[in-house]
Amino acid sequence: MPKQLEWTRRSVLRLAWVGIIAASALTIEPLVEYLTSKEDRLRSPLVEYNKPLDENNDWQNTANDRVWVKQDSLGVMALVATCTHLGCEVNYYPEKKEWLCPCHGSIYDVEGRPVSGPAPKALHRVAVERKPDGALIINTSKQVGMDTRL
Amino acid sequence: MRDQKNFVNHIRPGFVPSGALSVLYTFCLGGLSFLAFIVLGITGLLLMFHYQPGDSTGFSSILTIASVIPYGGVIRNLHYWAGQLMVVTVNLHMFRVVWTRSYKSPKQLNWLVGVALLTLILFLDFTGYLLIGSQESGAAATVAVNILGLIPGLGTGLAQVLFGEPSALSGSTLVMYVWHCVALPMVALLLQLYHFWRIRRDGGVRPL
Repeated sequence: MPKQLEWTRRSVLRLAWVGIIAASALTIEPLVEYLTSKEDRLRSPLVEYNKPLDENNDWQNTANDRVWVKQDSLGVMALVATCTHLGCEVNYYPEKKEWLCPCHGSIYDVEGRPVSGPAPKALHRVAVERKPDGALIINTSKQVGMDTRL
Repeated sequence: MRDQKNFVNHIRPGFVPSGALSVLYTFCLGGLSFLAFIVLGITGLLLMFHYQPGDSTGFSSILTIASVIPYGGVIRNLHYWAGQLMVVTVNLHMFRVVWTRSYKSPKQLNWLVGVALLTLILFLDFTGYLLIGSQESGAAATVAVNILGLIPGLGTGLAQVLFGEPSALSGSTLVMYVWHCVALPMVALLLQLYHFWRIRRDGGVRPL
């Protein structure tokens, strides 16, 4: 016959300790995620895009999540999908031809011009160059005007 | 209190005077300040993993911590609000000590330690504010540097030692980072431990 569990003060306090330790264990995963986050690492401002691109393509995402490229009749352009309001990453919705910011609801048109919401400016355009082998090099540190094309 | 058979009395160590359990005497303001200090130490240490001091990097790294790093917002807000709370509780603690005349003999030395701690905490609050690296921080740093500059002879050098060379657009400098994260907290911690030891030494909390 198993020994009956006695609810003494000692066992209640011990149980409280177990509870506290168990609750603290819940912070381990968030802590590891925080400490190992590489989101603020230094990145090269240069992003390469070597897939074919023509005027029929909509905005194409590059290896850097926030950098997109597109070609129109005038040439190739690159855009940084960082909201000009507070810096959230904006998402492109090809069916609506719009960029939407999930944070505060800013909407940009297909060219990245602000349509509604708190965003004050258009999504930044950055310089595109072509390497001798034909791949595109996007220099995110070099901002260019809306009409600039490669 | 001594004869009460309640839970608090049950877990009270025998060497703590039962009068010290009277919450309405001290309002536990010193204890709350120390709790805030511990929270500040832990969250501050965590923030150091992602914060980058400096003119151009301070503000942007705080934005990154607050909006991109997982759980960074929680940690930054805990640090910010614990800091605000500590300034409030430390001041109230001071008022309580005056109110109950607890600065009198034999606790006059501990009162002086407390005054030094109050100053340290205010400096910590100020340096933390400058580390945000916003334009407001830059303005505050400029004012502080100019005030120090008024001291004849020593002023400019003192400002250099205490603040580095903050620009008007961002108060964040490496010098201030070291003061805020290492030097001031270490001194504050040592003084606090001495402060607590002296409470027992001077006879503990003895309500009216």
